[in-house]
Amino acid sequence: MNKLSKYKHLITAYIVSFIAIAVTILPITWLFLLSIKSKGETFTKPPKWVFDPTIQNYIDLWDNDLFKDTFVNSFFITLISITLSIIIAIFAAYALKRYQIRFKTAFMQWLLLAYMLPEFLFVLPMFAIYQSIGIYDTYIGMALIYQVHVLPFSIWMLRSFLEEIPKEIDDAAYLDGCNPFQAIYKIYLPLIIPGIVATAILNGIWVWNELAIALGLTFFDAQPITVGVASFRGYASINWGGMTGSAIVSMIPMILFVTFAQKHIVKGLTLGSVKG
Amino acid sequence: MKQTPYFFILPSILILAFTSLYPICYSIYYSFFNWRWGNEKDFIGLSNYIILLTDKKFWIIIKNTFVFAFFACLIEITIGVFLAIYIDRIKYGSTIIRTLLLIPLMVSGISVTMLFKVILDNMFGIIPYFLSFIGIKSNFFGSYDAALPTIIGLDVWWQTSFVFIIILAGFQSIPSEPIEAAKMDGATEWEVTRYIRLPMIRSLLFLVLIFRSIDTLKVFDIIWGTTGGGPGLATEALQTYAYRVAYSFLEMSKSMTVMVLFSVVVIFLTVIYSKFNKDI
Repeated sequence: MNKLSKYKHLITAYIVSFIAIAVTILPITWLFLLSIKSKGETFTKPPKWVFDPTIQNYIDLWDNDLFKDTFVNSFFITLISITLSIIIAIFAAYALKRYQIRFKTAFMQWLLLAYMLPEFLFVLPMFAIYQSIGIYDTYIGMALIYQVHVLPFSIWMLRSFLEEIPKEIDDAAYLDGCNPFQAIYKIYLPLIIPGIVATAILNGIWVWNELAIALGLTFFDAQPITVGVASFRGYASINWGGMTGSAIVSMIPMILFVTFAQKHIVKGLTLGSVKG
Repeated sequence: MKQTPYFFILPSILILAFTSLYPICYSIYYSFFNWRWGNEKDFIGLSNYIILLTDKKFWIIIKNTFVFAFFACLIEITIGVFLAIYIDRIKYGSTIIRTLLLIPLMVSGISVTMLFKVILDNMFGIIPYFLSFIGIKSNFFGSYDAALPTIIGLDVWWQTSFVFIIILAGFQSIPSEPIEAAKMDGATEWEVTRYIRLPMIRSLLFLVLIFRSIDTLKVFDIIWGTTGGGPGLATEALQTYAYRVAYSFLEMSKSMTVMVLFSVVVIFLTVIYSKFNKDI
């Protein structure tokens, strides 16, 4: 009897997860199918279930220099943002682990606050100062303002990875005459590579997907892919091929990332308060 | 060297000061002016605050934002916790299930927008097409009553896995002894969940609640991309309104006032969270 009820529970569990997966995956699959239909077949009623797939929409996107540029821009903005944040965060995380710092709690609270602040708060003040120092609509400007979100996150993550390293290792390094730089470079860095990768991926996903700040602080040269995708949403004449294709193109790198980062994502999403 | 840790932490402090303190101070300062992009900047005291807070429209927007956040959080947390309870039982295939369910979370808000604009389009969408079979003429984004619930639905599709994945991790970190013991004493599966599993992950539920409520209050992408705040004011939220005030009405100071008021709410919620969570 007990065994039977156990199986019943398990079967319900599989049914529930099947439904959840269907609700999750079907819309994306549908979007993908539309993106490989030819222009005439996209919205026939009833929908054509059997059709000749075409990659014409993707070729159009590839030929669309404006959209291709946004992809490249997003790539560089993401790369600069995560590199900058990791380099700066690793020293802060090390200092927080190794030393007694005054105002430590206040600093950690500030991190959380900066992480939580609404995006549009940054847009107008940054627009004004970026205009006057000449980094409006540049990769550097975008990477800099994104630090407000990715830097606290990186410090958090790297600190929680560093905390897992026993203090003895650190003490041994000092006895051997390492200075702090050598200790970080030779001892900690190799040990927290997985943590760095996870942090970089999660930050990369956030930067790649960010829209509100990008709308305000880019005009042309540094426009990221989210703005590129948004440009297909026009109300007057809707370019369905562009909409479906560009949305899929912007999703692909992130979906690939999930598969790699799956293990660390839980830890990242809770700022290290749960072990993944 | 005694100063070493401060040198290490200094770059972070400088960058955070520039990217968080400076915008806050700048916004507060100019919220007392009547700056409209041009050179003219006159000090007008609290006028912006008074105008906004006595404006009926602004209260409708605040109401929209909180209605959106309340229902989105409620539905996401309910579904997310139930999914976690069920999927916690699964041993075979749980990794692949988790990975597939995580996908929406990795997709940008604007892509979610495009996805549902295509699927829910009145003329060509697949869902209105199916609904037409049972005689329902749907208008998801265009009608005053349906637009906000539709956008709540988008957010639920997009963000529920955040709740699910964290609560699931919480369940899996619970030691098995108390659960075994309760089962020996004849507790049913639901009693175990209700009286052991859920109480043991209280702090995670609180974390999820705070993170989701701040995140939903900040909603921008999925409204800006679908309805742009319309029809009328039906889906206008605080951040989309601040955007519109700055770029359509060209009232920079007023837009910053909106963001200052909004930031106060976000800061308040964050402080509550850090008071309860001693780790931070």
